[in-house]
Amino acid sequence: MNNTYELPLDEAGYAFGFMDEYAKKEVRRAILKAICIPGYQTPYASREMPMGRGFGTGGLQLTLSLVGGSDTLKVIDQGSDDSVNAVNLRQFVQMTCPGVDTTEKTEAATLIQSRHRIPEKPLTEAQILVLQVPYPDALVVVEPSEARRKTMHGEADYSRLLVKLYEDIVKFDEITISHRYPTRIHGHYIIDPSPIPRWDVPKLHQSKALILLGAGREKKIYAVPPYTLAEPLAFEDVVFSVEDFRDAAGIRRACSRCGATDSFLDEFSNEAGEKIYQCSDSAYCDEQLARQTSHAQTTNTEVVA
Amino acid sequence: MTAMTDLTDLTVLSIWQSHTQQRLFRRLLEAFAYPGRLLDAADSGTTARLAILATLLDGEVDLADPHGLIAPEDGLRLMASAAAPEQARFVVADAARAPDFTPALGSLESPEFGATLLLEVEQLGTGSPLFLTGPGIASQSRLVMQGLHPDWIARRADWVSAYPLGVDIILCDAAHFAALPRTTHIVWEGY
Repeated sequence: MNNTYELPLDEAGYAFGFMDEYAKKEVRRAILKAICIPGYQTPYASREMPMGRGFGTGGLQLTLSLVGGSDTLKVIDQGSDDSVNAVNLRQFVQMTCPGVDTTEKTEAATLIQSRHRIPEKPLTEAQILVLQVPYPDALVVVEPSEARRKTMHGEADYSRLLVKLYEDIVKFDEITISHRYPTRIHGHYIIDPSPIPRWDVPKLHQSKALILLGAGREKKIYAVPPYTLAEPLAFEDVVFSVEDFRDAAGIRRACSRCGATDSFLDEFSNEAGEKIYQCSDSAYCDEQLARQTSHAQTTNTEVVA
Repeated sequence: MTAMTDLTDLTVLSIWQSHTQQRLFRRLLEAFAYPGRLLDAADSGTTARLAILATLLDGEVDLADPHGLIAPEDGLRLMASAAAPEQARFVVADAARAPDFTPALGSLESPEFGATLLLEVEQLGTGSPLFLTGPGIASQSRLVMQGLHPDWIARRADWVSAYPLGVDIILCDAAHFAALPRTTHIVWEGY
C-alpha cells in the first residue's frame, strides 16, 4: 500500500451536480425524447444516488441534470418546504451544486422539485416543475407484464383501465381514486401523474411550465409539455371532479391558519380531538398570511392617522 | 514527480466543458418544450451544429453524418460511433439537399428509438415561414428559415404520420437553433 499517495484535490470532491457527465447526458437525452412523445415513459439508465430508492431519486436525477449556476431551486414535499424529504434533497443540491440559489417562494424559483403536490400559485414559462414518481405506470393495476403494458400504451388501448373505473362506480357509486389519477396526455398516452391529489390534476392541462416526471426505481422519465392537452380519465355521465372541501352545511372550509378558501387543505386533529384544516402548500399559506398582516398594518396606520 | 505534463496552458474549447453543455441543454430543453422558438448558441464558442452534438452525444449513442459535415477531430471528441442514417439515433444532415434515406422511426413499444435529426439550414429568422401547432405551442407559432429543401417537410409528414412513431428534428444555422418534435403539426405555404 502506498501510504504517501494523496487523492488529487479535484478528485476528492464531487463534480458539480454529483452525477458524472455521462449520467447527465443519458438523462438529458431521455428528457428530450419524453417531451417529443408526451406522456410516454421513456426508459433511462437510472443511477445509484446516495439515498434510498423511493426517496425521490428519479426527481433528483432530473434536477441534477437540469440545474446550473443561474438557477433558483425550490424543493417541496407534500406542499411543504420544511418536511424531511424536502430539506434533505435541498441540502444535497446545495452541497453538490455550489452557486445554485434556493428559495421557498414559488414565484422566485426557476426549478421546482416536488413530491405529491403542484404549487397553488400558477407556474410560468420560465419555470420547470419536476415531480418525483413512485409508480410510473397507470396500467400496472390491470396488467402485470411490462411487455404487454408497453404494447397497450403504444396502441393507446386503455379499455381495461376504463373497466376498472367502471367497476368502482358499480361498487361505490364513484371513482375511488384519490391520488395518482390516470390522465391522458395529448390524446394518446395515459400517465400516472405521481401521487398528486385530484385537486392538482387540472393544473397539468395547458400548463405554461414544462412538467417532468422521474421514477428512479422504475427507471422511467416522462413529460407533460407546456400547452398540452391533459384529460383525467372519466365517463360522459360520470365527470371528473376535484376534492370537495365543503362541510356538512355546504360551506367551503377555510384554512385555519391563513383563512384561504381556494387552496388544497390538509386535515389534522388538534389536542382536543377536533378536526382542523390547513393549506397543504406552505408557501401559499405564508403568502396569504403575510398579505393579511401587511393589510392589517396599513389599516391600523390609517386608523392611527 | 515533475515529469507530469503541465496542463494549465492547454485551453479547452468552451463547448467541451460541462457548464457550457448544461447551459446549452437548458436551451435545447426550451426549444423542444416550445417548438418553433428560436434559440441562440453563439456563446458556445463554436457552430450551433457542433454545440448541439457535443451537448447530446457520447459513446452510448451513434451518429450518422451522410453529408460529411463533422470534421474528423470533432468526430473523435464526440465519441459517438458511426452508423448508417437508416439506423442511427442521431443524424446530422445538410437541409439544402433532399433527404435520400428513411431514418429510424422507433417501434410502437419503444417510440423513443425514432431518430433525432439535426438539419443545418442556411439561415433561421429570415425567409419563408413554417406555421406550427401542437404541444408546447399556445395557439400557433411561426418559424422562418432559408435553405430548407421542401422534400424534408413532405418526407417528415410521412415519418410522423403513425404517432407515436416518428422523428424529432432540430434545425440550426451557424448560431441559432429551433426544434420540431414529432408532435408538431407543420403547415408550409411554400408547399
